[in-house]
Amino acid sequence: MSSDWKIAFKDKLLAILGPQGVIYKDDELIAYECDALTGHRVKPVFVALPETAEQVSSVVRECYEQNVPYVPRGAGTGLSGGALPTEEGIVISLSRMNKILDIDIPNERVVVEPGVVNVSVTDAVSSSGYYYAPDPSSQIVCTIGGNVAENSGGVHCLKYGVTSNHVLGLEVVLPDGEIIQIGGKTAERPGYDLAGLVVGSEGLLGIVTKVTLRIVRKPETVKTLFATFDRIEDAGASVSGITARGVIPAGMEIMDNLCIRSVEEAIGCGYPVDAGAILLVELDGPEAEVTAQMPIVQSVLKDHNANEIKIARDSNERDLFWKGRKSAFPAMGRISSDYYVQDGVIPRSKLAEVLGKVGELSKKYGLRVANVFHAGDGNLHPLVLYDGNVEDEYHKALELAGDILTVCVDSGGSITGEHGVGHDKKRFLSLMFDESDLDTMNLLRCSFDVKGLCNPGKVFPTPRTCVEPGMKPYKEHPLQKKGLGEMY
Amino acid sequence: MAESKSIKEFISILGAANVTTDSSGVTDYSIDGLVPKAVLFPENEEQISEILKVASRESVSVMPVGSGTKRSLGNIPPSLDVLLSTQKLDRVLEHEARDLVATTQSGVTLEGFQNKLGENNQFLSVNPMHQAHGATIGGIIASNASGPLRLRYGTLRELLIGLRVVRADGTVFKGGSKVVKNVAGYDLPKLYVGSLGTLGIITEATLRLYPVPERSETYLVSFTTLEKCAETVMELLKSELVMNSLELLNPLLVNEVTGRIGIELKRKKHALAIRVMNVDKAVSEQMALVKKVCNKARGQGVTVEGESENKLWDEIVNCPWNKSSENLVKLKAGVLITDVARVFSELEELSSQRALILYASSKAGNGIVDITLKGDTADLASTINTLREYCESGKGSLVIEAATPELKSEVDVWGDIGSGLALMKRIKSNFDPAGILNPGRFI
Ligand SMILES: Cc1cc2nc3c(=O)[nH]c(=O)nc-3n(C[C@H](O)[C@H](O)[C@H](O)COP(=O)(O)OP(=O)(O)OC[C@H]3O[C@@H](n4cnc5c(N)ncnc54)[C@H](O)[C@@H]3O)c2cc1C
Repeated sequence: MSSDWKIAFKDKLLAILGPQGVIYKDDELIAYECDALTGHRVKPVFVALPETAEQVSSVVRECYEQNVPYVPRGAGTGLSGGALPTEEGIVISLSRMNKILDIDIPNERVVVEPGVVNVSVTDAVSSSGYYYAPDPSSQIVCTIGGNVAENSGGVHCLKYGVTSNHVLGLEVVLPDGEIIQIGGKTAERPGYDLAGLVVGSEGLLGIVTKVTLRIVRKPETVKTLFATFDRIEDAGASVSGITARGVIPAGMEIMDNLCIRSVEEAIGCGYPVDAGAILLVELDGPEAEVTAQMPIVQSVLKDHNANEIKIARDSNERDLFWKGRKSAFPAMGRISSDYYVQDGVIPRSKLAEVLGKVGELSKKYGLRVANVFHAGDGNLHPLVLYDGNVEDEYHKALELAGDILTVCVDSGGSITGEHGVGHDKKRFLSLMFDESDLDTMNLLRCSFDVKGLCNPGKVFPTPRTCVEPGMKPYKEHPLQKKGLGEMY
Repeated sequence: MAESKSIKEFISILGAANVTTDSSGVTDYSIDGLVPKAVLFPENEEQISEILKVASRESVSVMPVGSGTKRSLGNIPPSLDVLLSTQKLDRVLEHEARDLVATTQSGVTLEGFQNKLGENNQFLSVNPMHQAHGATIGGIIASNASGPLRLRYGTLRELLIGLRVVRADGTVFKGGSKVVKNVAGYDLPKLYVGSLGTLGIITEATLRLYPVPERSETYLVSFTTLEKCAETVMELLKSELVMNSLELLNPLLVNEVTGRIGIELKRKKHALAIRVMNVDKAVSEQMALVKKVCNKARGQGVTVEGESENKLWDEIVNCPWNKSSENLVKLKAGVLITDVARVFSELEELSSQRALILYASSKAGNGIVDITLKGDTADLASTINTLREYCESGKGSLVIEAATPELKSEVDVWGDIGSGLALMKRIKSNFDPAGILNPGRFI
């Protein structure tokens, strides 16, 4: 493609979006070169900033006609390079579509535009006693559109589920520009569960322009327990011990010693720096339930050699327990110049075993790995520490992080629990899925995006094309068979 | 179809013992009055794959069934070649209690599955219709069947984390995984929940489980008016109570259900069945609160526990169908929570105008209304059309879950599927290019 198309395309975008709606200056485009996976950068040709679904549709239609690839973008906090621009493509940022459209407390629904920030949903319904359950640690910046695309989780998904469990309806601009309504405020509609498919599709199946969310009643009581262990294996075993006793906490989080030390150094929240591991257990629900379950949890912890066990006396102390956990990623900066966040999942019952293996890998590569994870659902976030100024350490770190995924999959788990495959993990998808699994996923993609223009080059390990829908396997025309005609 | 030739091939794949072709055998499996030419009972995934390859090649239509309890769901098939039953895929493969996850073949019955899980004091948190008639896990997934427990636990959509499927062309694939949290690749399990056998045959499912709660208790309470019931529902929903089920029942259903299990409820009016499952003390405390809310609206109720509680819920879910399924119509409406009472009264009005027998219950906290009607076909048809308009005007839907072929030929089974229909059709044609799986019944 010559660059002539760019001039004409820019005019088209300006006509659709107005001067405030298009970014084309080099220095302004830099901000869109990457998401939170900053190691990969591509400068987009333009950034479109639509304000309505119709504008999104017009831009997408233009892309469709001109065969221009595009990448949807929310707040750019994604950790797998999902919003990484495509070479010679544009970015469609939904950040200006940030209105809460409808708050319907009696029906327990909120309808939002995709650029609404996660925490604003809870803020909007909190005074009525409700909240939006999925709470990624990035919730004060990340958008609902990004959450939908990544099927984001958080620290409370053990009990309350992930984004897909809270999305009932979507408006989507399909890759040919058509705007469709999927589901809605009601719990059920006839037809395939398209909302279930689009959630977690990492922006490959269309651009979400409206989302109907389920909100939930705030629990009567929340109690948070803090426990220390000498050995992280004991903390891990406690987690499956607790669920085995029939208790499903709202969340269970573990941090290892390296993590504890860096957090303590960074924010000084009173974590004991000599502990081998910290386990946070949060129970919520009716007062009587929480009161009855807490002793069960405590006895499991004691059985697993917990040292100190504290229950937060009030919400201040509770916030303090959580503060360390919530600052775990940024705190790494205190002990290492660079770090890579891994995101793998294992069966809860294999925690102790897998952590042991991660330790061995750390030794083998000579790089430190800090472990902080959503232990309740087996979602590990090993942080691989490296120094980007030391030659090859970055690549070593990536290799180590990759080996951790192999360990996760071998234990019966997954290569990603919440950060997505994106650009970063494409090559690992084949660890979990064979050719026919991937082929089936591609059938789905092709049902939405025949031209493959919507966030191309992501998720799939190798590029795949589509056979036009409805195209039957090729059969020779009788005339051809008889050698009487050729097809051109 | 090249019928007899294909059937011979099926017999050579499955062995004669696993293919039913005799006329009484196949008649038992008829659908909307149509009799299949053969019923196939494959024993494993490879056989299913071989069958579908033949069927795709020869354009033989295949209707997947579990035990066949939901056979009447869907449009009247334009033609019916063979039924493929998953009944012989009947093994629970793995139950990792510490992970609260189990993997099972799709032909395992819900009852059998629950029994197995119960050995470790866990369960699959759904209680749909037809459990006692052998509803299978695969069938429950494919029809997204749910029951009153969905208030607390959601539906199969929330519980299915992985599956294996044979696609129409015989390709076997897996989707999802065996861990509860996983976002690798598209969420294919979601596509199969409610897909009604149109996109492939589910052979295996991995499901998320819950521990069996320590205690369960239900308060069955009637009110002077439907309005009082509805107010109480809203009151309960906005409280901090964690209920497992909240069912609104019409007077006839209340009568029938209480009569069958021998519970005395003085007032024969609209009632609520409110279930709390939890640790012992939390049940007592929450039930006290439930009763307080109900008393405020002058509810009169009884507490039901133990074996009669199980029976009560079984009857609420299955009651009119436990009696007989002759000429009954079953409908499911999905509406806003705040519209449930309005739909109820509209429904009652329509039925009394036409002297229809009406049993209605609603998962009032989810906006789902389950309706059973009996009456004259023309009256039923006009009732359904009016009620559907009513539901759809409030952005809801009304689906026919079971009806006589006569009625189905008068009214549309699904109603308005919405602007996603064309996309659904593209998915269908990509997954089943030869159009052999349940053609014409759904998408
Ligand atoms: C410090 C930190 C902590 C984090 N903690 C968590 C956590 O606890 N749990 C968790 O799950 N994630 C976490 N994340 C990851 C990230 O915040 C989430 O993936 C989030 O959902 C991304 O939202 P975003 O608005 O930033 O999306 P972006 O990064 O802009 O985009 C993410 C993906 O969504 C697509 N997309 C965006 N908007 C749309 C739309 N409207 N329609 C279609 N596709 C769209 C993009 O193309 C891209 O593929 C964390 C990230 C950071 C930096």
